Amino acid sequence: MKLHVVFTLTGAEYALPFDSVLQMESYTGATLVPGAPAYVDGIVTVRGMVVPVLDLRTRFGLPRTELTLDTRIVVTESVGRVVALRVDSAREVLKLDVEKHQPAPSIVSERSSGLVNAVHPLGKRLLLLIDLPKLLGENSHDLQPRALPANDGSNKQLPS
Amino acid sequence: MTGTADLKEFIAAYLVEAEEHLAVANTQLLAVEGAQKNGSTNPRAVRETFRSLHTIKGLSAMVGVEPVVAIAHRMENFLRDSDRSGGTLAQPAIDALLRGVRAIEQRVAALARGDSAAPPSEELLAALDSLGLVATTAAPAPAAVLDLDPALLAKLAPFEVDQLLRGIAEGQRALRAEFSPSPERAAQGLTINSVRERMAKVADIVRVLPRGVPASPEAPGGLCFVLILLTRSSDELIAEAVGVRGAQFQSVARELPAPAMESELVPSIEAEFDGAEDGKIDTHSRRGVVRVDVSRLDDAMEGLSSLIVTRFRLARAIASLTERGVNTRELSEIMTDNARQLRDLRAAIVRVRMVPVSELLERVPLLVRGLRRATNRSVRLELEGGSAELDKSVSERLFPVIVHLVRNAVDHAIETPDERLRRGKPEEGLLRITCGARTNTRLEITVSDDGRGIDRAAVAKKAGRPSPSDDAGLLDLLCIPGLSTRDIVTTTSGRGMGMEIVKRTIVDELGGELEVHSVVGQGTTFTLRVPLTISIVDAFSFECGEQRFVVPVTMVDEIVEVDANALVKVPANDDDSLTVDILSRRGVAVPMIQLAQVFRLKTAGKGAGKAIVVRRAGSAVAFAVDRMLGQQEVVVRPLNDVLVRAPGVSGATDLGDGRPTLVLDLVALSASLSMVSLGGSAR
Repeated sequence: MKLHVVFTLTGAEYALPFDSVLQMESYTGATLVPGAPAYVDGIVTVRGMVVPVLDLRTRFGLPRTELTLDTRIVVTESVGRVVALRVDSAREVLKLDVEKHQPAPSIVSERSSGLVNAVHPLGKRLLLLIDLPKLLGENSHDLQPRALPANDGSNKQLPS
Repeated sequence: MTGTADLKEFIAAYLVEAEEHLAVANTQLLAVEGAQKNGSTNPRAVRETFRSLHTIKGLSAMVGVEPVVAIAHRMENFLRDSDRSGGTLAQPAIDALLRGVRAIEQRVAALARGDSAAPPSEELLAALDSLGLVATTAAPAPAAVLDLDPALLAKLAPFEVDQLLRGIAEGQRALRAEFSPSPERAAQGLTINSVRERMAKVADIVRVLPRGVPASPEAPGGLCFVLILLTRSSDELIAEAVGVRGAQFQSVARELPAPAMESELVPSIEAEFDGAEDGKIDTHSRRGVVRVDVSRLDDAMEGLSSLIVTRFRLARAIASLTERGVNTRELSEIMTDNARQLRDLRAAIVRVRMVPVSELLERVPLLVRGLRRATNRSVRLELEGGSAELDKSVSERLFPVIVHLVRNAVDHAIETPDERLRRGKPEEGLLRITCGARTNTRLEITVSDDGRGIDRAAVAKKAGRPSPSDDAGLLDLLCIPGLSTRDIVTTTSGRGMGMEIVKRTIVDELGGELEVHSVVGQGTTFTLRVPLTISIVDAFSFECGEQRFVVPVTMVDEIVEVDANALVKVPANDDDSLTVDILSRRGVAVPMIQLAQVFRLKTAGKGAGKAIVVRRAGSAVAFAVDRMLGQQEVVVRPLNDVLVRAPGVSGATDLGDGRPTLVLDLVALSASLSMVSLGGSAR
């Protein structure tokens, strides 16, 4: 049995191992970082650390939403990085039997580009398990600073 | 085996110590080599080398690193013999010893990586073994006899006697001075350590010998240090240097009729101070020096950072009280005190982290020596380091950059001796490194060579770009990531290798500046300007596109009012989405860019705003912003995560509202813009 943090995105429930979560906080917006990828909301200060906020909806190709009172950030640590994940809500910590994890149906794992690697049935509920090392690890080789979007004319970097 | 965990702890300490002694061994061997080239000797350096290797051997045996023990043992044996026979080393011996040091370094590095230390090659061991067989025993016949108390004389090593005799032969005076420690003197700051330091400025200290004397008011501890000196300074100067006035200290410096030295009776308790005490005192006294893990200093700095943030919050709270009509005079006074105390505390912590620039440069001679041999270039190295100090973390980042530039210069820029002669240059190339504080906050380092220089057109051709018209343009080219280096090196005989990394370190990481000046056929100079410390900077805060930013004051040339009517619009290229206006500044045209547009922020109506003028490699660029907010000290936290690394953003800070505020590097931003768009419209 292992503790997991459960949060929601567009009504679906996701889970992360508790030991990779530093903390959960309410969220009132981040400081924009010009030139950062579209799925990065910006930066926030958590426990004195400056942490990037990754909008999980945008990352998963789901529609963006406005901030609500329920909006949370789940501050995670993996592969040596600390990144906050913006989620619709996060309220629950559950003990899950890791033995009962099932491989994610191919449609789920394809749609999420492999970022959801398992599911966990729990009564009537179905929890989607996120592959955090993969989520955070996929950018870590990309160490080149991005060029500024001065020529392309597109405006997807920053929400307006 | 149960001791594994303990051993691991030892290993960490071992690595630190070993590296330190290896550095000493390197430096001292080079000093020996330098002396040898000048036809003189440096017996002291031979002895220091011996000591380092002796220590390395002992430490290695303690943690069971046998390969290092095997190498160090042979080197130690040979050095001990050399020391005893006058402290001279022949070139082949120096080469072999440096190889030995290198071999130990490789093994220490392997241990640091968590690998095991490879056994030394038979060939190296044989080379070191054979040294002893050809060791020179040709100590020069003494030209004079030292008339020194036999008990003292017996304690002098042969090389020290030799050094004295040589010194006398060269016209220096051999003196002995005495110093007796006492609580009163210690209270005045006079200890054997401070005396040593001050004495070293006016004389060569050949040896310090502790000896027991009958306890007296003059020597309450029954201990007296005899300093054997060589000097050209006057007695007064020496007395002054050791801080002696009048009767506080008698018989400081008595001239000994050279070559004879005065004899004196030695009390019989002297034997007690033999051995242990001797060794302890002669190792350049490190008493009062604490070696601290940098991360502990970082913790202290971190604590201070949160204090400063708390102060901002306090100040805001007080301001809002004042707005509500509360009398906050006393609070404000306390805040003023608090500000001063924080400043002092900060200065104290910053000082602890400072290391002399000489530490940065002292490894360069060894590097050049290696390159000289590897490339068959003949290179003279000139080092000019000031007394400036810089933050350890800056120094650590800077060193690889210097290595890089030095390597490029020797490897590629300086021609072969033949080629140099053909071109009418001196056969020996010149590599010059200067290092000095330019202002209180910046260190300027130049690395220059008198080699071939960089052919701009050829570099441009290689990069597939138009040939730059000036040095700044050349630097932009050289720093293009992934610019194929090998070809450039052969076709232009210039550089390009890894300049991108140099630039990233200097400009992006350290917030410094990088310049190049190159004249074909005459040479190249790289100039680096880096802050002496990082992390806390004086910054302007401003607002742009409804977001607040700060920019370090040091980066800003000027802040100007923008008169919308006086702006000249530059015709925009079709494919160029940035609007560039021309601002007239004291008769000089300065390109002005809307920061909000660069950052794609919402712009607050086109009104008369302000513009922040920065200067990059001599040319000014203005960034229009909505309004200036103020100036304050901010703690800069690096933005390390790849998700938020962006050009022009150097870090984040907290202005007291609990949210991060971006710290901008407008100089870097203007650089990245000139690569992308200004290059098209402004040139």
